[in-house]
Amino acid sequence: MSGRVIVRARELVVRRRSRAARFELRVPDLELRAGEVLCVLGPNGAGKSTLLRALAGLSPPIAGSIERGADRVTMVFQRPVALAGTVGHNLHAALYGSGLSRAERDARRARALARFGITHLTTRRAAALSGGELRRLALARAFALEPAALLLDEPFEDLDAAAQESLSLDLRAALAETGVAVALVTHDLRRAVSISDRLAVLHGGCVRQVGATAEVLERPATATIARLVGMSNLVPGVVAEDGRSIAIDAEHRLAAACAFPPGTPVLAGLRPERLKLDVGRGETERLKLDVGRGETEPIGKGIVRRVVSDGLLCTVAIAWAGHELRTHLVAGRGLAKTLAPGDAVLLSAQAGDVHVLARDSGADQDAASSSGAASASASRNRSTVRISGSTTGRSGAPGE
Amino acid sequence: MPETLDAGLIAEITLRTLAVCGAALAFAVAVGVPIGVWLGARRFPGRAAIVALVNSGMGAPPVVVGLLVALLLWRSGPLGALGLMYSQPAMVFAQVLIALPLVVGITLAAVGALDEDWALQVRTLGIPRRYRAWLLLREIRMGLLAAVIVALGGILSEVGAVMMVGGNLEGETRVLTTAILMHTQMGRFETALALAGVLLLLMLALAGLLTWIQQADRR
Repeated sequence: MSGRVIVRARELVVRRRSRAARFELRVPDLELRAGEVLCVLGPNGAGKSTLLRALAGLSPPIAGSIERGADRVTMVFQRPVALAGTVGHNLHAALYGSGLSRAERDARRARALARFGITHLTTRRAAALSGGELRRLALARAFALEPAALLLDEPFEDLDAAAQESLSLDLRAALAETGVAVALVTHDLRRAVSISDRLAVLHGGCVRQVGATAEVLERPATATIARLVGMSNLVPGVVAEDGRSIAIDAEHRLAAACAFPPGTPVLAGLRPERLKLDVGRGETERLKLDVGRGETEPIGKGIVRRVVSDGLLCTVAIAWAGHELRTHLVAGRGLAKTLAPGDAVLLSAQAGDVHVLARDSGADQDAASSSGAASASASRNRSTVRISGSTTGRSGAPGE
Repeated sequence: MPETLDAGLIAEITLRTLAVCGAALAFAVAVGVPIGVWLGARRFPGRAAIVALVNSGMGAPPVVVGLLVALLLWRSGPLGALGLMYSQPAMVFAQVLIALPLVVGITLAAVGALDEDWALQVRTLGIPRRYRAWLLLREIRMGLLAAVIVALGGILSEVGAVMMVGGNLEGETRVLTTAILMHTQMGRFETALALAGVLLLLMLALAGLLTWIQQADRR
């Protein structure tokens, strides 16, 4: 992703009005480049919509800058706003001041309506649309403008699973065809991962990490970010004398590449899907054979605590070294069918999958749970979250 | 008293009523809608005071408005030099003062009821300013027509202000309401009833027409 920068926020501070509590959003450096899909991920109330509105130029910053060229940037709100009149009128109104010829406007309107499958609703009053249809209208209206960048605020919110799926497919097709740059706000990690090239993680009123999606998933900068991006296995330990493993307790170790000196208290993070398990046939050789991708190191035995299936994924919680680890299995087959609480399992992980975080990043847990203003001031005092759009912010973790 | 039920005379009074009320309504709408939109969309210090003033103006008794206008236009008053007392312009003036708060108040309520993201959405679509204003009027058209219906009802039926500043002069400032009042006082109930019937029909027809327009896109 090295496209032209379309919108860039630098040292940005935006204040949200009309809220009981004052809220400040801080964006050290964030850019949206031509042709990319940037997902802004964060919990509710983190400031995602505020960020998007600032990028759209709808709320003037109290500090810092938003750089935009002459490119058309438009936004689709979380609750889409339809103009009074028909669906067709909505697109017509958006294109009215575009300076295009009547024929070109009609062609764009037809194309956009077809793209989102609402051509048959052209003469329907916008006020009579269902939630899903209204979402499609708002997207079609935005695409009709053929903007360089599109800002989407929770575009799949409040839709049932089937509607989400079909809208997501249409949106992906439209993105692929038009090459429009998209900044998409969501709190749904799986949706974000499935659609984004890059991920920006926002919590407590500050953009904390920006990077390629896989990079952020594998190398979150802090424990809070790790939890937000699904790295739910976070185990406290100490860097061992050899410097190549993390001692969890006297008996348990996790092999990990690590840049901290021996003796440093750290958190070892491991994504659930990277934790391998096998039922106790005892031979570690077998485990190594089982796992196709590279060397996995056995990390010891665990006891299954819970097995919860949502029909697609089966989440297994395992007691290990006095902590609870989780892993995912495909629901309805293999171990997912046979595992039961109390079973002993063998666990293994690849050294490269264990991500080592400084323990003091626990401080930002407090920040995340307190008010935006408090965490904003906390972030000012912390140097570990210096973030740039081109290089991923890290807290000392080495690369591969 | 068949000579008082002169159809020509009734037509003349009716037309004069329509002219006076129409002029007042047109002026009140032309001025009141922009003010209402502005008050509804902007936030500034002192706005609450202005809105309170508008809201109390919506309930101002026509007689009091008539008194104020009379004081202004009286020969020794501030605008006395214009010589407008007991003329149609004076009646229009008084009726504008009655209709204006109604138009402003209902328009600003309609703008306030809009989705707060509406203006932002229209802005991010890059719609030119003048067309945005047109879209806004279209968006609040229900409220606008309600404002017109209420304002028209208010001035068509009021008698106090037009009586005070118009004087009910035959052939000059006599309108339906003042004529009804006069004929009733003179005991000519048949004429008064006929004029009242005309007034009611007029109100029914106009309100019906406006309601039909208002509800047109609901069908």
